[in-house]
Amino acid sequence: MTTIPGLLSIGSKALMAQQKGINVTGNNIANVNTPGYSRQRLNMSSDVPIMTGNGLMGSGVTANKVERVYQRFLGVQINNETQSLGQWEAHKDALERVEMIFDESGGYGLNQVMSEFWNAWQDLTNNPSGSVERTVLVAKSEMLTATFSKNYEDLQKIQRDIDWNIEGAVAEINRLSENMVDLNQKIIQVESGGHMANDYRDQRDLVLKELSELIDIDSFEDANGGVTVSVGSGQALVEGTHTYKLSTQVNASGHQDVTWVDSSGNTLIINNNISKGKLKGWLDARDVDIENSLNKLDTLAQNLMTEVNSLHATGYGLDGSTGNDFFTGTASAAGIQVNALIANDINLISAADGIDKPGDNGNAIAIANLQEALTMNGNTATFSAYYDSMVSDAGLAVQQATSYYDHQSQMVLQVENYRESISGVSIDEEAVNLIKYQNAYQAAAKLITTADEMMETVLAMI
Amino acid sequence: MRVTQNITNSNFIRYINQHAENLLKTQRQIASQKRINKSSDDPIGMGQVLGYRTNLAATDQYQENIEQGKTRLEFNEATLELASDLVNTARRLAADYSGSTLSVGERQSVAFQVKGLYDQVMQMANSKFNGNYIFSGHATDTAPFSHVGDFNAAYNGDDGKLRIMVSDNVEVNIVADGRNIFQNAANGGVNIFDELKNLIDGLENPDPVAGSAQIKATINPLQDGRDQINSRRSENAPVLYRLQATDEYLTNLRPKVEEAMAKLEQADITKAVVELQNLELAYETTIATAGRIIQPSLLDFLR
Repeated sequence: MTTIPGLLSIGSKALMAQQKGINVTGNNIANVNTPGYSRQRLNMSSDVPIMTGNGLMGSGVTANKVERVYQRFLGVQINNETQSLGQWEAHKDALERVEMIFDESGGYGLNQVMSEFWNAWQDLTNNPSGSVERTVLVAKSEMLTATFSKNYEDLQKIQRDIDWNIEGAVAEINRLSENMVDLNQKIIQVESGGHMANDYRDQRDLVLKELSELIDIDSFEDANGGVTVSVGSGQALVEGTHTYKLSTQVNASGHQDVTWVDSSGNTLIINNNISKGKLKGWLDARDVDIENSLNKLDTLAQNLMTEVNSLHATGYGLDGSTGNDFFTGTASAAGIQVNALIANDINLISAADGIDKPGDNGNAIAIANLQEALTMNGNTATFSAYYDSMVSDAGLAVQQATSYYDHQSQMVLQVENYRESISGVSIDEEAVNLIKYQNAYQAAAKLITTADEMMETVLAMI
Repeated sequence: MRVTQNITNSNFIRYINQHAENLLKTQRQIASQKRINKSSDDPIGMGQVLGYRTNLAATDQYQENIEQGKTRLEFNEATLELASDLVNTARRLAADYSGSTLSVGERQSVAFQVKGLYDQVMQMANSKFNGNYIFSGHATDTAPFSHVGDFNAAYNGDDGKLRIMVSDNVEVNIVADGRNIFQNAANGGVNIFDELKNLIDGLENPDPVAGSAQIKATINPLQDGRDQINSRRSENAPVLYRLQATDEYLTNLRPKVEEAMAKLEQADITKAVVELQNLELAYETTIATAGRIIQPSLLDFLR
């Protein structure tokens, strides 16, 4: 009504509303660098008008809700793109480590060691009974087997490091789920009272994004404000205020499988149901790319061993012995060894085609010619061509993962920029708002002063 | 579009990172002088470079083999030249002392000389190269010829050839069968040792007339024997030629392979340095712009 107390009421309501406005602006400014923060806005509307003798008259301002400026679809998009980004980042990092093992740019890799091995056989053909040539051959062969095992073991080490990473990621996922549950509870509580839990929602969105980086998730919000998150092929991670855990267990190959633990404690392996996120990048690198390389190294070592041994056994050593293997041990990259008998007695090396022929280099020639023989890939490639293509493939894989990663990180940046342009805090804008509310506050204060003076004038009349 | 500080900041960070990464890559190329420092720089190129490296290593080895083969042939040649001269000396002695009017004493002293020649020829035949007998076939640890009884020579080796790898699945053979050279009677040639023995026997024959006939009978065979040795010497010529030709081929091939490899692997330093300058310019302008744009805000201008 149009009384002086009415004026005072308008003034005080205005003061409080503008003060709230400054509060919200202050909160925005303070949180300009908080990751995941969405700027907040004070909703003000004019208060219910009052019917007076002169018709409806306004009764001031009322501050409604503080609302978050936020576009829900962008959040989902960011999470999706982050899942792919995590996948390619993890995959690329692992593949770059594999590439380092096959680093031939310095020159002392398997390519050179194999060349020296074959050349040592050729040196033997020039002096088949020479003890220097035989000793050197044994030395070069031992270097060859050592390089095979080293490469194999280095690859396995990367697999073990990936297992570590997976365990770490699973622990992180569990921690994030706990966080989620905590936030769910708070949000449900606050919103059941009818208010918007803006800051908690921002924090929860951030948790969802961090989860997306690690593993692909499906999430949806239910009616009371809680969010359900599921992974794999529908296994729930967070259901409102209840959380399920992920865990790891060692599988038949000695590596970690990712498992989901249900409420009765049963575990379900979900490796094959993870399709994005860092876990997927790591699992793919470990179980597909590195396994592939390990198998190829094994095949190379195996074929080399078989071919050399079968020729060597038909030849004769300086001591007349025949049927000796040159390489022993399991037919694999890690297991191939130079026959200890030969390492101890170089006379056993069978360079000759016939017995008691120290000048006969026929068998050594046959073995040396294996270098150019088509023994790999169904008899279409030489040993070194097979290895060279392994090195090429490692490089190609890195190139591809890098280009996917670059493309994806550009995507993520763009989507995040878009989100930022809608929900981000602009210091300039908040500075303007600050002035806006401050002026209004000063004007409202002036109103109260005016009403007060009017009251005094009236009182003075008495 | 609403642009906030965070958008400008994160964009700048991304651009600066990209420039820095490109700079790093170019720097690495210049420092290592290589265009391909990791397989992922050029995977196909890397594979080819590895192939060339294998090629070069093999070429070096073949040339090493050829070198050893040539040395061996030269040694063979020198040895056989000496042997040929010795047999010629024996023939001359036979021709000069084939008359029946020599005194026993003279004939004894010539016989002594011939015995010396016999031993020397055998010594030549039993030459060693690099610790191995060169005319024993594959029995390189056994002296090819030995006296069995007095001046009856026996061959203890076999007919193995020296095989040299000169190229991918290509071999050159050097004959090492001593019988072939010194005792080739079985194939219509001359058994030089036997003829020398005959000469000795003739000189030592107490009956001068019979002895003289024996001596005369050795003159032509010894001549043939000398020709036999020289014939074997000349058979080595095509082998030597083949070794030299292959060596020359490989020597010519090498720079071509090296060039192909360098084209793939080597960085074009001029190009890299120019690129480095361009990238530096881009980098500097980006950070200069960043400096100007991210600093001012409205707050600087409010009272």
